[in-house]
Amino acid sequence: MGVVEELAIRLDEAQQAGKAISQLTATTELDVDTGYQIQAALVARRIQRGELMVGLKLGLTSQAKMTQMGVREVIWGRLTDAMRIPDGGTVEVGRYVHPRVEPEVAFLLTGEPGPFGSAVRAVAPALELIDSRYANFRFTLPDVVADNTSAAGFVLGPWQPVPDGLDNLGVLLEVDGRVVETGSTAAILGDPRRALAQGTHLAARAGVRLAAGWVFLAGAATAAVPLAPGSHVRAVVEGLGTASLKASE
Amino acid sequence: MSVEQAVAALREAYRTGVPCPPLRGALLAEGDVETAYAVQRAMLAGWVAGGRRPVGAKVGLTSAAVQRQLGVDQPDFGTLLADLAVPDGDQTSMTGLLQPRVEAEVAFVLGADLPHEQVTSVDVIRATDHLLPAIEIADSRVAGWDISIVDTVADNASSGRYVLGTRPVRLADVDLRLCGMVLEHAGEPVSVGAGAACLGNPLHAVAWLAGTLARAGSPLRAGDLVLSGALGPMVPVTPGAAYVARISGLGSVRVCFAGEG
Repeated sequence: MGVVEELAIRLDEAQQAGKAISQLTATTELDVDTGYQIQAALVARRIQRGELMVGLKLGLTSQAKMTQMGVREVIWGRLTDAMRIPDGGTVEVGRYVHPRVEPEVAFLLTGEPGPFGSAVRAVAPALELIDSRYANFRFTLPDVVADNTSAAGFVLGPWQPVPDGLDNLGVLLEVDGRVVETGSTAAILGDPRRALAQGTHLAARAGVRLAAGWVFLAGAATAAVPLAPGSHVRAVVEGLGTASLKASE
Repeated sequence: MSVEQAVAALREAYRTGVPCPPLRGALLAEGDVETAYAVQRAMLAGWVAGGRRPVGAKVGLTSAAVQRQLGVDQPDFGTLLADLAVPDGDQTSMTGLLQPRVEAEVAFVLGADLPHEQVTSVDVIRATDHLLPAIEIADSRVAGWDISIVDTVADNASSGRYVLGTRPVRLADVDLRLCGMVLEHAGEPVSVGAGAACLGNPLHAVAWLAGTLARAGSPLRAGDLVLSGALGPMVPVTPGAAYVARISGLGSVRVCFAGEG
């Protein structure tokens, strides 16, 4: 077995057990390209178990996170149907390592290449559940890429027609009805439409073509907050509506 | 005694452009907000005696994060002067600014007095003539922005200058809680937020201010301008830079800073 497959198995088992592991780079020297190979092998294992690819997500789309990680390029990960949480649904916190939630904007893709207007059929408010499989949520860039950019789950609110402007919609993250984070879609690369352009480009580089009906999570509009058992979390996006989930033990 | 000394320290900082050490401890008792407002009033009296024109007020410390940082559970206020307004899009000199920071806010322009000591959001809605997008250029006369509540209150709530948009918008046409805010420098967002970042809703900040000023005997009047508080984090000003603030539903406003020297 190659080293890529071996490391993918380590991450896959950590995700299934909900148990943290140490960073892959603690024992193996990795670059970002190898990180993406591990991610592809990791998700291939999930597909073999019967999961379906349903879309892509971007990470490190905010200036703050890019500065924190010392990078200039966004990263991308894969979404499967098993990660989908129904709007208003419940997730068991115990199944994850140390889950966090962040409010996002999601696009429903037409599968057509080209400008935003023809590539996107609808827009929805969304919550992303992220869960690093690494201890203390600490990682290097190759580590987080290998770990499918911490993807763990997502909630989509109702699909809406694409609004005229997407570049400065107010975004709130509410926990138990209290506003805990405020932001704007401008936090997503200045405009979430740029996220789709960059995501399309990066995925194409890896030979992945965006398909009709896929979901694209453009990136976080605020900082992420830890998901506490018993809490109710809601993303509110100006003009688009809400997406919510409930956390159980 | 301490009021006069604090006033002297602040005046010296304004005159020389050199920030003073924190006022708390040496000149003002930690937590003595009342005396700090006495300093603010004495400073204002001097400005008015010198012919400067008050045009309204600003609310400060409106974000939960800033309140936690300063260990307070309520906002503060300062007075806006006509000569500190920078026209939309103009270049403003760095001279007279010590350590400026910019933030985007919703400006309220009142069409009626708000005389009551107990104020509801209905009073504010009825009294609001229109809204404008605004950039506040906050500044501190205290070295390194090392401020406590008494430092910033004495220092006119860390006021500097302000820039107002020129296209009035009706209150009914803006979602003040959900409106997105982005402050851009060279096309890149340097601060983002939403209406709810200001005390849950900028309207609440104005209601707090109206009641507080009425109780202090100087209520808000028709025609007054209110800067209601930041919708996102403050950003230190880079000399030579231009900043554009956009608030969803309110439009945009911009300011340029002259290069140093």
